Amino acid sequence: MRVRAGTARLAIGALFAAALYLVPVAFAGSPYVLFTLTLTLCYAIPAMGLNLLLGYTGLVSLGHMGFAGVGAYVTALLMKHGLASFVPSILAGTLAAGLVGVLTGVPCLRLRSHYFIIVTLAVGMMLFLLFNNLDWLTGGAAGLPGVPRPRPLDLGFAVVDPRRPAGFYLLAATAFLLVFVIQYALVHSDFGRSLAAIRQDETLAASRGVDVFAHKLTIFAVSAAIAGLGGGVQVLFLRAAAPQSFGFLEDVNVVLIVIVGGSGSLFGPCLGALLFVALPEALRVADAFRMVLFGAALVALALFAPRGLWGLAATVARKLRADRSVVARAGHS
Amino acid sequence: MPDILEVDGVSKSFGGVRAVDGASFRIKAPGIYGLIGPNGAGKTTLFDMICGRQFADAGSICLAGVRIDRLRVHQRARLGVARTFQECRVLEEESCLDNVLFAAQDKHLGTEMIQTFDRRDGPRHAVTEEAERLLDLVNLRPLVAEAAGTLSYGQRRLLEIICSLIAKPRLLLLDEPASGINPTLLNVLRDFLLRIFAERRLVLIIVEHNMEFIMSLASHILVMHQGRVLEEGPPAAIQASRRVIDAYLG
Repeated sequence: MRVRAGTARLAIGALFAAALYLVPVAFAGSPYVLFTLTLTLCYAIPAMGLNLLLGYTGLVSLGHMGFAGVGAYVTALLMKHGLASFVPSILAGTLAAGLVGVLTGVPCLRLRSHYFIIVTLAVGMMLFLLFNNLDWLTGGAAGLPGVPRPRPLDLGFAVVDPRRPAGFYLLAATAFLLVFVIQYALVHSDFGRSLAAIRQDETLAASRGVDVFAHKLTIFAVSAAIAGLGGGVQVLFLRAAAPQSFGFLEDVNVVLIVIVGGSGSLFGPCLGALLFVALPEALRVADAFRMVLFGAALVALALFAPRGLWGLAATVARKLRADRSVVARAGHS
Repeated sequence: MPDILEVDGVSKSFGGVRAVDGASFRIKAPGIYGLIGPNGAGKTTLFDMICGRQFADAGSICLAGVRIDRLRVHQRARLGVARTFQECRVLEEESCLDNVLFAAQDKHLGTEMIQTFDRRDGPRHAVTEEAERLLDLVNLRPLVAEAAGTLSYGQRRLLEIICSLIAKPRLLLLDEPASGINPTLLNVLRDFLLRIFAERRLVLIIVEHNMEFIMSLASHILVMHQGRVLEEGPPAAIQASRRVIDAYLG
C-alpha cells in the first residue's frame, strides 16, 4: 500500500523538527558543538530568505546580509537600551528589514537582471557604510557590544534559558523552524507557482495574468524580512552587533551558502549553512586557504551540479530508485 | 452592445520605422479571424499592442467597450485577453498538467497570499478534469506528467494554446500557430481550434503565413500591409482581391 505523499511529507517534517530539538540533549556535554550549530542556524535563516529570491524567483541579491544587518541593529538597539523585550524587539527588527526591502525593491525591481544584481550590491554596501559610520547610533566600526540575551522563558514543563548554550540553541531552532515552515508554505502555494513561472519566463507569466512587479516586490520584502530575523537572532546570540558581520564578504558568503547547498530546494540552504559554518569550524582550515578551496568547489559544482549539493543528492537518489525498480521488474519476469 | 474588439488608428514606431501605422478594425461577433500580410506588415507588433507587451504611440484599443490600451499585460490578461507567442512559450520545468493548472489559477496577489496559508486549491483544481479533456483532444493525455521542456516543438505549441484557453478568455491571439508543426499535427490543431470555437464561441485571431491552413480555418480574413489594415472579408474574396495580390507580390 502506498502512503499518501502529504502524510509522508508531514512525517519527514516532524522527524526533522524532533531531531532539531533533540540536539541539545545529544550534545549536552559539549557547548562548543552547540555554539557551532547555533551559529549554523543563524546563517541558515537568511540563507533560506535568499533562497526564496535566488532559487525560487530567479532574482540574485548580492546585498542580502545588509537586510540582516538592519534586523540585527534594530533588535540590538531595542534590547540594549531596554526599550522592548525579546519578542517585540526581534519582530521590530524583522519588520524594519522588510521595510528596507520594500524601499529597495520599488526602484530596483524594474531593472533588468544584471542591473538589478549590481544595484543590490550597491544597496548592501550602502547599508554596510551606514552600520560602519553612524557612530552615534550603531557604534561605528567598534559595533554595539553588550546586547543582552533574552530572559528565561517558563514553558510550564521546562524553563528555557537563552543565556545558556542549550537554551539559546532552542530559541534559534524555533526561529529556524518558523522560517522553514514559511518557506515551505510559500513555495508550495499558488504564490510560489507564480514565482516559479516568473523565474522560468517573465513574459509568459505576465501574459497569464501575473503582476510580475508586485510579486517580485512581495517576495523581495519577505526575503529581506527573513534575513532581518536571522540578523536579530545572530546579534542576540553573539551579544554584539558588528558591521563586518553584514559586509560584502558576508553578502557573498550567504549567496555561496545557497548556491553550494542547492538553490531552489528547501533543504539546500540548510545544508549549505552547515557546510560553510560547521565544516570550517570542524576542519579548522586556515581562512585564506578555505576561500581557495571554496572557489575550486564552486567551479566543480557549476560544472557537475548546477542545482547544488542538495540537487545532486536528489538526482542520485532518483537514479538509484529508478535502477532498483528496473532490477525489481527484471526479477519478476 | 459595444464591439468585442475595437482597434482604432493604432500606431507604433521603432526608431524611424513605423511598424504599425494607423491600423483600424472592429470585431463585432465571435469567430475565427485570420490576420495575414507580408513579412514586416506589423502583425506581431499589432498583437503585442493588443495584449500589452508594447504600448501604442497613438490610437485606442477597446475590449467590449473598455479602453485597454494603457493597461499592463497582466491587467489585460485578467480582462480576458490571451495570446500565444511566435516563439512558443511554456513553463519548461513544469509538467504539462501543471502548465495548464497554473494558467487557470487565480493570480491576484491577495488571493494567492490567502491560499498560501489556508492551503485550499481553489480554481486550480476545479479545472483538472477540463485540463485533461483538452489535453486528450490533442493527444497529449499520455504526457500529462512529463515536463513541458521534453515535448516536441509541435506538442509545445498545442500545450501553449490549451494553457491560453483554460482561463476562458474572450479574445485569443495566436501568433503563427502552424509554424514548425508537421502536417499531421496541423490537422489535429485545425480540428482542435474548430471544436474549441464551437464550444466557447470566443474571438480567435490568428496570424499565419500558411495560407492553406488559415483559409480553411478562418471565416474572415484581415490583410495587413505597411502597418495598416488593407483589406478585410471572407477568404474567397480576399484570395481574389487585386490589392492583396499586389501587396504580396510587391
